[in-house]
Amino acid sequence: MSSAIRIGLLRLADSAPLIIARNLGIFERHGLDAELIVSPSWANVADGLVWNGLDAALIFPPLAIMTALGHRGREINLGPGIPVSRGGNTVVLRGQLIPSFLDTDDITRRRSFGSWRNGLSRRPKLAVVHLYSTHFLILMDFLRSVKVDTEQDVEIVIMPPDRMIDALADGEIDGFCAGPPWGTEADLRGLGSIVAGSANIHPGHLEKTLVTTQRWEQSSPALLQALQAAIGEATRFCMNPGNSAEVVRQLSRSLSNGGLSLPSKATEQIMPYQNNPNAMQFDFSTTGADLSINWMVQAMQAQSWLTPANMKRLYELGWLTPAPIS
Amino acid sequence: MTMKILLADENSQRAGALSEILKADPSLEVIRLEGYESLIAAVKTHVPDIVLVDICRADRDGLDSVRALSSSGLERPIALFVDEDDETLMEDAFAAGVCSYNVMDTPPRNVKPLLRSAIALYRRFQETTAELKAARQVLSDRETVDTAKKIFMRNERCGEAEAYRWFRRRAMQQARKMVDVAADYLRVQTKDDAS
Repeated sequence: MSSAIRIGLLRLADSAPLIIARNLGIFERHGLDAELIVSPSWANVADGLVWNGLDAALIFPPLAIMTALGHRGREINLGPGIPVSRGGNTVVLRGQLIPSFLDTDDITRRRSFGSWRNGLSRRPKLAVVHLYSTHFLILMDFLRSVKVDTEQDVEIVIMPPDRMIDALADGEIDGFCAGPPWGTEADLRGLGSIVAGSANIHPGHLEKTLVTTQRWEQSSPALLQALQAAIGEATRFCMNPGNSAEVVRQLSRSLSNGGLSLPSKATEQIMPYQNNPNAMQFDFSTTGADLSINWMVQAMQAQSWLTPANMKRLYELGWLTPAPIS
Repeated sequence: MTMKILLADENSQRAGALSEILKADPSLEVIRLEGYESLIAAVKTHVPDIVLVDICRADRDGLDSVRALSSSGLERPIALFVDEDDETLMEDAFAAGVCSYNVMDTPPRNVKPLLRSAIALYRRFQETTAELKAARQVLSDRETVDTAKKIFMRNERCGEAEAYRWFRRRAMQQARKMVDVAADYLRVQTKDDAS
């Protein structure tokens, strides 16, 4: 048997298919020996891919792209990988009494944001989980939609998703954009309100993809298909409403017991079948969902992260065609 | 000319040992990051030439983005040190759990010997069983604090923010880490439950 495939992930509810695949023996049934490495931050995941600490990672496309292009020190061949989750990110602002931003017109939303900002004693400090993240791009789109100058009017800070709750409680930040279940958790604890998210900014967008390094693919060519099959089985398991309680139970177990120590009530609320626009989805057979990452690539270009030479490279790596549907 | 090194490692034993090794070279000035200071804040305050970082530090992501974020307030950009000619050195560093950032716009300096000393030391720590635990420490620390906070909130009928502030204040008063204060609190609680 070859050595274990080392897969990096963070403490997030959309890591569910990996936790389920390991804890319920799905990897094993597909002949895979998988080691899940729960990383403290996205920088660690990216560095692990580049510097041989990981063979694969559950990651959002912008960071995978920037990592492939050499932003962690050397270029590596990372393709778009196996799509795993859609949506689920939320923008949270401090306070409980923010009128809903979701269903109102632009002018009302601008006014809502303005009065929220006036209630703070400083320029709002908003956190995202990494600069090269879907969360940063979604937050920028949200801020522009409420006519906020993203350079002048707010301060953007970076911190791992599972630190957001404490940072909000402690007044270190005034809001954030992060993956599930942290926005819902902030809402349940009365620390903040969800004012926007994947659901209204880029509905159904590709969020996490399981990228594998070329080093691993070349050393274990037969296992890539097994990995795809295992992930397919695990995502179908997570999409089945009947399995929801089990998925929540696995995710809320402590780290030492094979879970991610996630708050169970918040996790329950963002399970896929919930009638909640902020629920995460692991379903790639749905027609109509925009699985392309074109909006991300365009937003990344608008941020001047990508040069024309980079675009050529992304095409070669397979990022510029729609991700394959499993 | 002396070279200023900021050492950011929450494992105080390891930070102490590395700082002793580095201090043996009189051309190096070593500053250790104090417990509550954020990495970016410390870089702003101390203006080091080189930052040696435990890769498990959660605020490392922020350091990676300072060039792109106007809000970082850093005048001199900083970047992950990468030796393109010596990939093994980089793999060894990440495997050992340490990495180095260079503050740009200063004359190029030879960071490799420094990084090699750090790698050797981190490896030695990794070999002990205690270090295996420390590798997961950042995450399990957070669980300990979370659990203590939850019990505190129930006991005191207070909110998240108040509980967090209580633990943080106590930690500051006692000049200890929040996780140690939280662990103490949990110990007392379990004793009470048992009696």
